[in-house]
Amino acid sequence: MGVRDELKTMAAGFRWGRRPIVPRSAEEHAEPKEDRVFPSDWARTDAGVAARQVLLKGVMHPIVRNELTLRVFGREHLEGVDPPLIFYSNHTSHLDATLIMCTLPDRWQSKTAVGAARDYFFDVWWRQAFTALVYGAFPIDRSRGARGAVDKARQLLADGWSIVVFPEGTRSTDGHVQRFRHGAARLALETGAGLAPIAIVGAFQAMPKGRYWPRGGRPPVTIRYGTPFAPREGESHQELSRRMTSAVAELFHEERTTWWEAIRRAERGETPSLVGPQGPEWVRRWEGSRPIARKGPAKVWE
Amino acid sequence: MPRPGFVLEVDERTPPLLVHEGEGFRMQTFPLGTRVVYPPDPLPGIRDVNAAIRDALLHPIGDSAPLPDLLKAGMKLTIAVDDISVPLPPMTLPDVRQRILEHVIELAARAGVEDVKIIVATALHRRMTASEIRRMVGERVFRSFWPKDLSNFDGEDAEALTVVGETEEKEVVEISRRAAESDLLVYVNVNLVAMDGGHKSVAIGLAGYRSLRHHHNVETMLHSRSYMDPRPGHSAIADSATRMGRLIAASGIRVFQIETTVNSETFPKNLGFLNKREWEWSAYDQGLMMAARKATELAPPRARREFFRRVEAPYRITGINAGEVEAVHDRTLETLHRQQLVEVRGQSDVVVFGVPYLGPYNVNSILNPILVHCLGLGYFFNLYRNMPLLKPGGVAIFFHPVPWEFHQIHHPSYIDFFEEVLAETTDPSTIESKYEERYATDPWYVHLYRTSHAYHGVHPFYMWYWGAHGRDHAGDVIFVGGEPKSVARLGYRPAGSFRDALEMAKDTVGASPTITYFHAPPIMIADVT
Amino acid sequence: MALALEFYRSAPKYLGARLASGKAPGLVTGGLAPLRLVTRKDPEPTREGWARVKPRLAGICGSDLATIAGRSSFYFSPLVSLPFVPGHEVVGELLDDCGDLRAGRRVVLSSVLACAARGEDPPCEHCAVGNVGRCDRVAVGHLKPGLQTGYCTDTEGGWSRLMIAHRSQLWAVPEGMSDEVAVLIEPLACAIHAVFRARIRPGAAVHVVGAGTVGFLTLIAIKAFTGADHVVVAAKHRRQRAAAAMAGADDVVRPEHAVKAVRRTDHAVKLTPERGMEFLLGGVDVALECTGSSSALDLALRTTKAGGRVVLSGIPGPGADLTPVWFRELELVGAYTSGVEDLGEGETKQTFQMAIELATNLPILDQLVGTTYPLDRWRDAIDHAMAAGRLGTFKVAFAPQE
Repeated sequence: MGVRDELKTMAAGFRWGRRPIVPRSAEEHAEPKEDRVFPSDWARTDAGVAARQVLLKGVMHPIVRNELTLRVFGREHLEGVDPPLIFYSNHTSHLDATLIMCTLPDRWQSKTAVGAARDYFFDVWWRQAFTALVYGAFPIDRSRGARGAVDKARQLLADGWSIVVFPEGTRSTDGHVQRFRHGAARLALETGAGLAPIAIVGAFQAMPKGRYWPRGGRPPVTIRYGTPFAPREGESHQELSRRMTSAVAELFHEERTTWWEAIRRAERGETPSLVGPQGPEWVRRWEGSRPIARKGPAKVWE
Repeated sequence: MPRPGFVLEVDERTPPLLVHEGEGFRMQTFPLGTRVVYPPDPLPGIRDVNAAIRDALLHPIGDSAPLPDLLKAGMKLTIAVDDISVPLPPMTLPDVRQRILEHVIELAARAGVEDVKIIVATALHRRMTASEIRRMVGERVFRSFWPKDLSNFDGEDAEALTVVGETEEKEVVEISRRAAESDLLVYVNVNLVAMDGGHKSVAIGLAGYRSLRHHHNVETMLHSRSYMDPRPGHSAIADSATRMGRLIAASGIRVFQIETTVNSETFPKNLGFLNKREWEWSAYDQGLMMAARKATELAPPRARREFFRRVEAPYRITGINAGEVEAVHDRTLETLHRQQLVEVRGQSDVVVFGVPYLGPYNVNSILNPILVHCLGLGYFFNLYRNMPLLKPGGVAIFFHPVPWEFHQIHHPSYIDFFEEVLAETTDPSTIESKYEERYATDPWYVHLYRTSHAYHGVHPFYMWYWGAHGRDHAGDVIFVGGEPKSVARLGYRPAGSFRDALEMAKDTVGASPTITYFHAPPIMIADVT
Repeated sequence: MALALEFYRSAPKYLGARLASGKAPGLVTGGLAPLRLVTRKDPEPTREGWARVKPRLAGICGSDLATIAGRSSFYFSPLVSLPFVPGHEVVGELLDDCGDLRAGRRVVLSSVLACAARGEDPPCEHCAVGNVGRCDRVAVGHLKPGLQTGYCTDTEGGWSRLMIAHRSQLWAVPEGMSDEVAVLIEPLACAIHAVFRARIRPGAAVHVVGAGTVGFLTLIAIKAFTGADHVVVAAKHRRQRAAAAMAGADDVVRPEHAVKAVRRTDHAVKLTPERGMEFLLGGVDVALECTGSSSALDLALRTTKAGGRVVLSGIPGPGADLTPVWFRELELVGAYTSGVEDLGEGETKQTFQMAIELATNLPILDQLVGTTYPLDRWRDAIDHAMAAGRLGTFKVAFAPQE
């Protein structure tokens, strides 16, 4: 067989350029689905971490600073805390992961991996490569009955890596917080890892679902880190989810009012719910996209 | 969770499959509906091998005391070790026999034993060279014992052999005198296939021609269905070894048997695709395969031989058991079957085997045509339980170039066997009655066996008998890609391609036969029902 | 918020897919397909007669693949509303009561969005007699334009976890019929309709070009509803030929040998032009083109006798030579979805009803659905569907709830 014929047989038989397929009689012995996701561990080697630092600090952070008016609060709450932590945040925009990775203190940033939807970020090799490299991302399976979603996360936490998850599961369409899925709470209860709440305010206004670049005019965005907390003894995952939600709610409203106000309201159990006003769709969107007042000196010419 | 072995049915989604052929391999497209038998995934290995060895020696199985209790100052200790014919390919260092020897000798030293001899149980195989022995036992043991107290077994040294007795079937049991007269005989075994180990270790590994001829003969081979199935009644050779082994035990010779099993990680990383199922090959595996194929095609023969000679198997140890022979061997077989057994329903008209570059008798040597016959029609054909994969009278198709090449030093009697005996006849019974005695007692071969590194004069006969059952069972044997002259001398038919072979098979099995491809190595046993 | 596979507007992807789908189909599923997995807001059945349906199985059809590969005609552009969720071969579960069907019932979808679904009252002349496939109002009414569910942004489609449908589209699935057979009812109805459009007389000779799902079901319909005497089937792939033989075709051949095979039925004269496919002066009474490829249409036109009929079951692409239509005075007939069939003597029956009855007792249909994929493995699914014939599969379907 000449070389060309051999290559033709190989190309046809192994479906070069197309998706791999398993012979019918081998289907029940096929490797489990999770293993067929493109591996992402290479991005968490020393070389991958170093490359990520360069990309985040040298490219992403300057872009973020240029396109937004970014303010960061609360990082001091992470001092003296031991890894790993489960960072979790509200999710309104593709900006969220970038903002978190750019603003995490160095010692956390180099050992944090962001959980990204497998069906979106990990289905083609180039999207997976980009996501894994820039965010150290690992795949989360969103489909029904997928238990492999947490296996990777558990493994990372066991290895001392912190993870970032968005318990809503998908970006909000109206800026308000949707119901938290219980995966993160369950994971925290199983592994005993601490939970660190983050609230990102203004990202929905700056770059909502459907946009891939921030609005012009350097819209203001604030990212607030809260105090990490641990699951309590005998706590159910529903209770923990509720605690997680109120932690983010407090931070959210700390942004909108003041810290003092937020604590007092929390004491009174009056932290306004994050799910936004009742009523028709347009009201929710209207409230959710309310511009954040800029603080600081007004521009000289207006 | 390692997946079990299974039978694939070739469909439109199946890529071409890899077939070994000597020092190389090819990608063959099989007709739709061909069944392909795949081995199970490798079992995980023991994490702490040293701890496992220690544990096995201190907690033996069966009717046996722990090893330290059997070692006393002033005793005569003999340690016998399996020779270079296992495992295949040779395992990455340190060899498990090295580790076990070091433990045993440490215990012996602590107990104050002084009279220790280590014998490489070669039976009538060739003597191992010093460097081969050093590789197997390790530097420490080699330096301490070679050459006075560490040596190859010599089956032709009349003074070094002794008759233990006769079994109820009138089989003479003649083994190493040193072993028989020791206070304790420790045997260190590596169980690669189900035929190894058990009573075979001492009764055959340390035996001379007088004993071996009782079971290394055509009659026994034809009644071993198969010799890879040591259950009583299935393998006449195993039954004979059992009788001899029980006689040895009954005659007061104390044997402490240490057996090990390995998993099926047969090939190193640079040939990793050989361990994997083809449709699970990544782009990297496919590239590696094509590169390896091109390299083996274009390389000069010596470079190619050297490349394959250096292949070491990254075997992991799956079991270490020690104690009384039969109890230990039962455990060994359990683990071995867990790794190697594959259920197959029904026999086929045509069975395809890819013959690899290595068998037990050409380590660091050349696979001559007789050894190809032994490896293909002997070992691979017999990797079954209950009944052969091939229907009686069916066609066996092998892939191998079968070059007319012999190693002058290792296989001198083979050359004469091929040129003289096979030219006359290929029928095993005729060969046995007409020629065996002459070759077995030829003083030149005996001399080479005892002083050089040659297989015994009778060994090519054993190789021929090893395929007797296969020859008898198959209606036709075809070698794809085989050199016509050597294949014809063996009494088989050469074919240029697989398609031609199927065409030739039409005479025997018709135009649309059922076909099964036995996708080994890695080694597996087809449990045919 | 339900997971759905959405077809969206992207000019560069459309162009890229169109260019690549011929030479490098892998690129289409790699990144050029203008499809994406999204969580869409749950569609709300706001009007009377609408209900939510949970798709259990949704087939991938040749027209879906043509759309994804950028090969469908621009003619359709005002008849669809982007972004839409494809999937018009659906068996699902009702989540709400709908007319006389209770929630929880399994239903199949007759996907045309005709006057009844669009609230057009009085209905157009075709819907009035039940020929919903010919509805004139598919671009108007209170729904966005969309010839079928699976091309309309308001209704979503089968390739999602939740869609809505109108009572006029729903048919109850008989108990005991598996999902794998139920998902074939829609293509079977299309095949039956094509066969009736063909008006095959008893004793006629018929040529079925193509034996994928469409061709195979057409063959089944011919055997079930007509008295055709001799049926020749031209099929590219081995498994298709085997299935056609099992379904009772009289002569099953490769496309290269089809002209010769048809010639044998009536000993016609075979002529070979200097360029192009050979043709017959003579041939079958009726040919049905079931692949949508122009070479298959050529084959059908060139093997039909003068005055005969050629039925287009697949969407015809450009490139076929229509000279035989003129020269041999052929009748070129289109067959689109299903409606009502005239059974003779004034009796009519809805095609879907006939399909359900036929499918109830046809064990051969069990093997047609080759593999099902969850939505998040859509690239594998599309890739498999594009090469289905070569891979020995007939129908690839999504199982969206997994």
